[in-house]
Amino acid sequence: MMLQLLEIRERIKKFYQRYDAFLLPVVKFIFALIAFQTINKEIGYDARLKAVPIILGLSLLSAFTPSSIMVLIAAAMSVLHVYFISPILSVIIIAILMILYLLFARYTPKHGYVLLAMPVLYILKIPYLMPILLGLVSTPIAMVPTACGVIIYYVFQIIKTAVTMQVNISVEDIIQLYTYVIDTLIGSRQMIMTIVIFSLIIMVTYFIRKIPFNYAFEISILAGAFIGILGFLISYLILDKSDQILSMIIGTVISTALVYIMHFFRLTLDYTGVEYAQFEDDVYYYYVKAVPKATVTAPQVNVKHYKVRRPERAEDEDYDSPETYEDYDDEEDTEDEDNN
Amino acid sequence: MLDYKKIRLMTKLAVYEKKDGKEDIRLSKYYKTDYVRFQVLKTIIASTVAYALILGLIVFYNIEYLVRNAVVLNYKLLGSYVLGFYIMTITLFGLGALVGYSIKYDVSRKKLSKYYKLLRRLRKIYDESSQDS
Repeated sequence: MMLQLLEIRERIKKFYQRYDAFLLPVVKFIFALIAFQTINKEIGYDARLKAVPIILGLSLLSAFTPSSIMVLIAAAMSVLHVYFISPILSVIIIAILMILYLLFARYTPKHGYVLLAMPVLYILKIPYLMPILLGLVSTPIAMVPTACGVIIYYVFQIIKTAVTMQVNISVEDIIQLYTYVIDTLIGSRQMIMTIVIFSLIIMVTYFIRKIPFNYAFEISILAGAFIGILGFLISYLILDKSDQILSMIIGTVISTALVYIMHFFRLTLDYTGVEYAQFEDDVYYYYVKAVPKATVTAPQVNVKHYKVRRPERAEDEDYDSPETYEDYDDEEDTEDEDNN
Repeated sequence: MLDYKKIRLMTKLAVYEKKDGKEDIRLSKYYKTDYVRFQVLKTIIASTVAYALILGLIVFYNIEYLVRNAVVLNYKLLGSYVLGFYIMTITLFGLGALVGYSIKYDVSRKKLSKYYKLLRRLRKIYDESSQDS
């Protein structure tokens, strides 16, 4: 099982090294497509924005521009959808998004994508993925965009119910609608608890990952998931929403598995970022493709060890006497199983 | 003839210039005080706008009450509240920006000094090769 996975990883690594330049836009295109489709499915009030050419065009645009553009497009799309059905609600959304940006999100420009990913993952029922992943790859500062993402999700959830309310043009109705949105948002204890729990997950995952011991990464993923399950269990019991517990546990398990898979490939993908550089001196123009040497971390050393043995065994058989070789082999295998 | 040592050095420099270097070189054009002051100013403007927006939301939320009691409201107390919270917000974010952007500047400087070290090494290679020829 492990061996097959490692082979797949090697193959992906080769593939990534060869097609690095094309792969990133493709991945971004797929992410943008998923994000825009989710928005359309959730709050797709304006049919014009749901047209396939527009979605494809916008996704294509996001594929070749920085990730902040994708977030901006998604925000504009959501606002336009809401504007189509209720201009007053769209004004509220713009105000809230601007407050979030000006007070918090502008300090973490590298995490802009979290703002978009958080609501999308919520709708896909695996929001637990994000805090664990951020704890793994980022610093506790990622708590800020995560919290903003959670708030954005809840804002749009409230907007979705508000849209169904009877809306006349009279001033009283508008005020009533507005009061409803703000009341629900501020009174949402679940939102506040979620923010606290997600922040905890990020902290726990981050600090355990930083402790230098074997399998720190793997254990930190599990610890993050455990904290998440525990936290949400408590919060659901307090809020009396025990019907959501099952889907939360399943979601966490799926998220944990996804994070583990990403972690498994990240070790490879991160370090194989091939760089293209152009420069010149007095004599030549240089077009350099710089391929980083694969850095192997501690758990990987054991695994590599196991892989290298295989071909050697075939060769060794010619030289060694069978009995001694069998002994040696058994010893090796048990040791390796422990390591894996 | 290709000088591989030089190429390796130049590649390192070019990769840095393409990625982190862009930001670091941009920052190095400012003095630290100028940079931090500018960022703090931007932060204060941003938080002012955000504060105004929040204030707007709150006012609109209580609009009925405000309109009904427009005559009897204690505007002095209200005004001091608004101003007090504003000063608190500004101080909080301003100080945060001061500390945060100072650290950012120092980190960027450190990376840049490594870059300059490589540049000096490159120049040495150039000087040596020109002496040879």
